[in-house]
Amino acid sequence: MCMEKYIEIQHITKIFPGQKALDDVSFSVNKGEIHALVGENGAGKSTLLNILHGVFPASSGTIKIGGQEVHFANASEAIHFGIAKVHQEISVIPEMTVAQNLMLGKEPCKYGMIDHKKMNQTAQELLDKLHCNFSAEDKIGDLTAGEKQMIAIAKALQLNASVISFDEPTASLSDAEVKILFEIIHELKKSGVTILYISHKMDEIFAHCDRATVLRDGKYITTLELKNCTEEDLIHAMVGRDVSLFAKRTKPSRCDKNQTVLKVSHFSGEAFRNVDFELHKGEILGFFGLVGAGRTEVMRAIYGADRATGGTVEYNGKILNCKKPTDAVKAGIALISENRKEEGVIPNLPNMDNIAISSLRKYQKGVFVSNSMKADNAKRVGEQVGLTPNDPEFMTSSLSGGNAQKVILARWMSTDADLMIFDEPTKGIDIGAKAEIYRLMEDMVENGKSIIMVSSELTEIMGMSDRILVMREGEIVKEVPREEFSEDNILKYAVGGSTK
Amino acid sequence: MKKFYQKYRREFSVVVAIIITFAFFGIMNPAYFSVANISTIITQSVTYGLMGIGMTCVIITGGIDLSVGSVLALVACVAAQLAKAGLPIPVWIALCLVIGFGLGIINGFLISKLHLQPFVATMGTMSIYRGLAYVITGGYPVLSVPKSYRNVFNSTLAPNVSVSVLIFFVFAIVMTIVMKKTRLGSHIYAIGGNEDATRLSGVRVVFTKVMAYGIAMLGTTLAAMILVGRLGTGDPSTGQGYELDAIAAAAIGGTSMAGGRGNIFGTVLGAILFSALKCGLITMGVDTFYQFIVTGIVIVIAAYLEIIQNYFLQKKSSKGAQKA
Repeated sequence: MCMEKYIEIQHITKIFPGQKALDDVSFSVNKGEIHALVGENGAGKSTLLNILHGVFPASSGTIKIGGQEVHFANASEAIHFGIAKVHQEISVIPEMTVAQNLMLGKEPCKYGMIDHKKMNQTAQELLDKLHCNFSAEDKIGDLTAGEKQMIAIAKALQLNASVISFDEPTASLSDAEVKILFEIIHELKKSGVTILYISHKMDEIFAHCDRATVLRDGKYITTLELKNCTEEDLIHAMVGRDVSLFAKRTKPSRCDKNQTVLKVSHFSGEAFRNVDFELHKGEILGFFGLVGAGRTEVMRAIYGADRATGGTVEYNGKILNCKKPTDAVKAGIALISENRKEEGVIPNLPNMDNIAISSLRKYQKGVFVSNSMKADNAKRVGEQVGLTPNDPEFMTSSLSGGNAQKVILARWMSTDADLMIFDEPTKGIDIGAKAEIYRLMEDMVENGKSIIMVSSELTEIMGMSDRILVMREGEIVKEVPREEFSEDNILKYAVGGSTK
Repeated sequence: MKKFYQKYRREFSVVVAIIITFAFFGIMNPAYFSVANISTIITQSVTYGLMGIGMTCVIITGGIDLSVGSVLALVACVAAQLAKAGLPIPVWIALCLVIGFGLGIINGFLISKLHLQPFVATMGTMSIYRGLAYVITGGYPVLSVPKSYRNVFNSTLAPNVSVSVLIFFVFAIVMTIVMKKTRLGSHIYAIGGNEDATRLSGVRVVFTKVMAYGIAMLGTTLAAMILVGRLGTGDPSTGQGYELDAIAAAAIGGTSMAGGRGNIFGTVLGAILFSALKCGLITMGVDTFYQFIVTGIVIVIAAYLEIIQNYFLQKKSSKGAQKA
């Protein structure tokens, strides 16, 4: 590895009104290395990246790139300098083709008109480099989340950047896509591109990164040579306290095999077929699969958010036919959606109203809803889920990902729901909050509730589930009991190795 | 006190704007301060206000209702005809309200059940309702509504205080309670903030939206009956362009066009400001053409104020979040 310092961050401080987001941060990144930037949510990783990318200036301190001091006035100056970013959530124009999106603003022209042939060709070359299995002429709207992420990467590649930063690039990718992504990252590295990598996933960081710089509460903590340290070391540096990284059951299983809560038979919908399974009382049932395997769609159909085309759902022995989510909520089923922002948080409401929205009847005096009862409930349940700040008047939309997720959990804990369906419950939230959410899940089964957990994180699903159902291409392909849990065993079925 | 101010910042700024408007026109023409003129301003604001309150409700769901002007005409014509047919007064009132509510329900059904865009759906019904008003009247105003019916909405409680003002304020209070204190109101705000999330929370989104459009039309219905009371006629061509006045009252009062934010009290103030401005321009003898321009400018300023206030609000809340 080349040891030449390429990016030098020197005494960077960023003060937002009333708060120091970065406090005298200094470190350097070598040319051609994959450098992880880690820390809990709010540690200042994004702020640092934003300064590097010229989104806003630092309050003080300097950044040198290749020995040259840089001051970017805006994001496009940074891009021209060769610093590209692969965004966590990418913005694409769904009605346009892949090529049109990629070439937006720099369409090749011939006789004053767009040269579509050349545009598609250029875009296709780029996609081929990424081993994408879709064409430049496909409409973006028809692609999966993972495929869209590949386009974001293609966009960054296209700039021939010398520095590329990745902000949680694998959050919406399937395992196969993740593999390709890392192949590309290593290729980039070989060609001398310096890579900054933000992720919450320890296994990725250890497998692919050279060094990791840890930030905590806006301060530089350390830079670790990853070869020479363990995950525990890194986590310890991140949180400053010992939090068990892995989702682990701390209490014995509450699964009562004799009591069936949910029985789904021959259930079919647009994205899944013939789904059969049973959920027992007190069980945490994991649903694993690649992105697009149909897990979310099954859950949404059970919940009444989407239409099922066939089959039956029995809940506590009674046929349940949810035509809309209201029916499911009345029956005592909760769905915690994977898209917290789009399908969870109601941005114009404070915590107390976001928490109360599914259980408003409980706070009624006559026809009127009592504000003080709502606030009391928010305070009480907020305490249970460990919400900070536990302020009923605080706007939920201003909370970090982990706290917003706690508000959603508080919403459902305020109802009498007995069946909790978690869809990617810890997506994009920091380790501390993850651990708390696992603890809450255990408390729920302790209290006689039953849980379905859809997750793409193997460590999490293996740590928490009593049983795992693996889905592939809309069907359940395997039931794995806890005794047989192993990464290989589960992944094998998810990617479709041996069963068919 | 500070918290109170923060919560009602927008209303304060409208009150300040009203005071400035009064001061300005009062200095330009002292007659502006006369009891008669102030009474005119308030009475004038009743129409904008009643329609604006309904509009506020709809805009908070994230929608819009362009058909209110047509409904004003249609209900006015129906009310006039029913009055002439000699219905008992309580039945007459109830029937008119039911009809108005029903017209709103149709809007709500098109939007929430058939998933039409609010703009398009109500543009359609705007034309349909207007057409119906012409069809049932043959295109001629329904004249000479009996005095007894008119008096219900046109008598004065005290010198210079019309019963219509009382109706306006009572409706405003009732709607404030509905929006702030009932489940329906909470659901309306939630839908405006994030409809998908609200649906997944188990809220009956279709029902709530239909109700919002229905209730919204009650304001317009009351405005129509007050109009019939005042003029004694039901004119099928009345109320053209009133939807814009109603939207203006809501916008000036701080209702966000994006949905999810706003309140009835703000709209009431907005309607009064709007009316004070129009009356002021008339007392100053400003040409009608210029009146359009001035009111337009005020709407644009109000909308811009909304953006500025949001900007500061966001800055503040992000500060709060970081502190936390």
